[in-house]
Amino acid sequence: MTDNATDLPTPKRRSVVRRWLYPAAVVVAIAAVIWWLEAGGDGGVSSTGERYGPVALPVALAPVGANVSAEEGALAPDFLLQALDGEETRLSDFRGQPVVLNFWATWCGPCRKEMPQFIAAYDAHREEGLVVIGLNLQESESIIRPFVDDFGIDFPVLIDRDGEVGDDYRLLGLPATYFIGRDGVIESAFIGPFQAEERGTNVQGAIEQSDLEGRIAAILGSGEDDGGG
Amino acid sequence: MAAGRAASEPGRASARGWTRSLSWTNPLRAVWWLFTNVRFAIVLLVVITLVSLAGVLIAQKPVNVRGDTVLEAEWLAEKDGMYGFLTSPMDAVGLFDIFHTGWFSVLLAVTVVSTAAYVVSRFPGIWAAITRPRKRVPDRYFDQAPHRLRIEGTVDVERLEAGLRRSRYKVERWQEGEATFLFADRFQVAQLGTLLTHAAVIVFILAAVVSRVDSFSSGLFLAEGSTLPVFPVRHENQMQVELVESYAEFAPDGQPLDYRSDLAIYRGGEEVLRCSSTVNTPCSYDGYRFYQVAYFGFGAELVVRDTASGNVIYRETLALAMRSPAARLRIDDANGATLIDRTVVLPDTFEINDEPFHGGLVRLEDGTALTLLLPQDADDGDELLVFDLGDTPETLRLAAGQSVESHGLVFSYLGLERIPAGFALDLPLPESVASDGPVRLQMNNVIYGTGTTSEGTNVDAPSGGGEPELTIVGLTSQAATLSAGDSLLIDGYEYTFEGQREFSGIDVRRDRSDYLVWIGAAAIVIGLMITFWVPRRRLWAKITRGGASLAGQAAGQADYTSEMRRLAVQAGAELAEETDDDD
Repeated sequence: MTDNATDLPTPKRRSVVRRWLYPAAVVVAIAAVIWWLEAGGDGGVSSTGERYGPVALPVALAPVGANVSAEEGALAPDFLLQALDGEETRLSDFRGQPVVLNFWATWCGPCRKEMPQFIAAYDAHREEGLVVIGLNLQESESIIRPFVDDFGIDFPVLIDRDGEVGDDYRLLGLPATYFIGRDGVIESAFIGPFQAEERGTNVQGAIEQSDLEGRIAAILGSGEDDGGG
Repeated sequence: MAAGRAASEPGRASARGWTRSLSWTNPLRAVWWLFTNVRFAIVLLVVITLVSLAGVLIAQKPVNVRGDTVLEAEWLAEKDGMYGFLTSPMDAVGLFDIFHTGWFSVLLAVTVVSTAAYVVSRFPGIWAAITRPRKRVPDRYFDQAPHRLRIEGTVDVERLEAGLRRSRYKVERWQEGEATFLFADRFQVAQLGTLLTHAAVIVFILAAVVSRVDSFSSGLFLAEGSTLPVFPVRHENQMQVELVESYAEFAPDGQPLDYRSDLAIYRGGEEVLRCSSTVNTPCSYDGYRFYQVAYFGFGAELVVRDTASGNVIYRETLALAMRSPAARLRIDDANGATLIDRTVVLPDTFEINDEPFHGGLVRLEDGTALTLLLPQDADDGDELLVFDLGDTPETLRLAAGQSVESHGLVFSYLGLERIPAGFALDLPLPESVASDGPVRLQMNNVIYGTGTTSEGTNVDAPSGGGEPELTIVGLTSQAATLSAGDSLLIDGYEYTFEGQREFSGIDVRRDRSDYLVWIGAAAIVIGLMITFWVPRRRLWAKITRGGASLAGQAAGQADYTSEMRRLAVQAGAELAEETDDDD
């Protein structure tokens, strides 16, 4: 009897454990799993602790009520990504310069075909302030680097590791190219490859290199009066 | 009446639970009754079986046809010959795509609900029977039980109880007046085996649903050294598959012996797995399996470099899936020395007397040029035409296997070969090149399988040996032939044949229903084993001074009366006068 009496508090403690600690542990475990799943696809973190991927446009560059979206006439959505050389690049840092933003991947045949056109365009217009950004979609550095070296890509190549920037730009296919004026506004967008004017490169759905030149000329001439947005 | 009774007995309905409180006219009650009805479940299973049988016997729309209006119409037109006027109504009710119809899904769903309802409805009763058995039965049960035994004379209760315990019964004993009662129970939990079996059916159907909703499959055709994404464009689980190396081995008769692909899997910019994949042993990563499903050995890697910038402007591995005729020719001189013994590529096309021919040029060491011609659709029976352009031109006609002497040389046509060929549709061309069509490629001396040349093999295009050569037609006025690593410079464009490459077809699949299928299989096996092989027993005994009555329940067709008799004998009973029935 005495033993039973001294054992009485023990079941009470168990009861508290069962009633509160176990459910709490389950809730914490579920929360941890959700957090892990959310964080699992993280595209990395910058040296300042900022997460790589889409970021909000700085207030100074986005007037109140401004339309920020991946469509012609709207401000181009901003992003912070790491370049192949390790440098951190923010799209809005190029405000005041015309930008050609090309989404590509090494596995994408039409992207490979049109790449020499962008290299040539960059070499032809870099002195005029043209910025070309090659935004690689979700590939590994070890896959991208040989391609970049092989093709002699000399403009910045950024890596969208988790594809969130691609989501922000509502990508439906590759390649996709956005022509952004000095004021940060998307002048035009083109889904599909540009093709060289040499004969033989008859990529299905491609448009001529002259069209690429025309679009670049449009952003080079955009907002020159109020450049610097 | 019912309403009056309910009114006169307030609270009774609620005490009996909501299901019992509902009248039979209540639709919920009717549905519950239907779903818990065994006959309904049997009818459902029979219907599913018949429908599934129909799905096997009636041709179903192939995957590539399903959803494509034009292809579906063409496919149905083909079926018209077999089903006639029934084709259209059969298609309307989905008999050509049974397993993807809405009604089949509904049928499966109803079966799941029915089976689940059965399990749920039976569980309380079975659980009560296990945990709260009826320990005291009326005296008349000893005369009516399916298994019973009457013992006249003295029975040693202690020995009977001990015998039961030795036989793994749980035994309870109590006294009522002069009578001693025993209740013994063995392996009653085995009653749950039936429920486990039914639960397995639910798990199987759930697995089918999960497989249909969640399964993923994607086919990738990769050249060695190339990478392809598992999902088109952007995906949260995006991965890239790199074919590091493709291997194939062939028997001398050309039969494939083994295929293997070394893969590297990338996710989030990192290499997450490096593995070897075969048809039966796929690589596996994060629930995705990477099977090798195809092999193609005739790829040519071609690189074009802009010599001004030094940049590569084109790097592709082209699958040469077509075949082009070529002639296996040997030329010996008068002394028996072999001047040529190789496969001659015939890259040019000619028309002679409105007949199309494939033609090629062979130069001997002394500068003699020979033109070889084969009909465009040549087969093994066609003759090879050799135009000898010596001082006294002569046309030789050689059947396969035939040798002819001319101008002191012996020409032997060893046979027709069909070498891999294809087009380079997007090949960059300099302005100076006038091409009236896409550049054509033919690859000679191809290697069959990894590290195994065609020497010694007898496949449909045995080669004369040597390193693979790529003949390019359309870049220069005459076809150019490059060995691996060789380049051709044309107006600032350098064309390099990097070598023969292999392709692998990799199927990426994920089907998380696998786990459910395993769980279901385990449950059904365990459930059936428990149901059929675990000997559950229940025994009641009433022992008085003049004798004992035993009544028992046993699963299945067990001869429990004999077992009771054995227990009684062990307890010292004399069974001279006994009555028993096995029923």
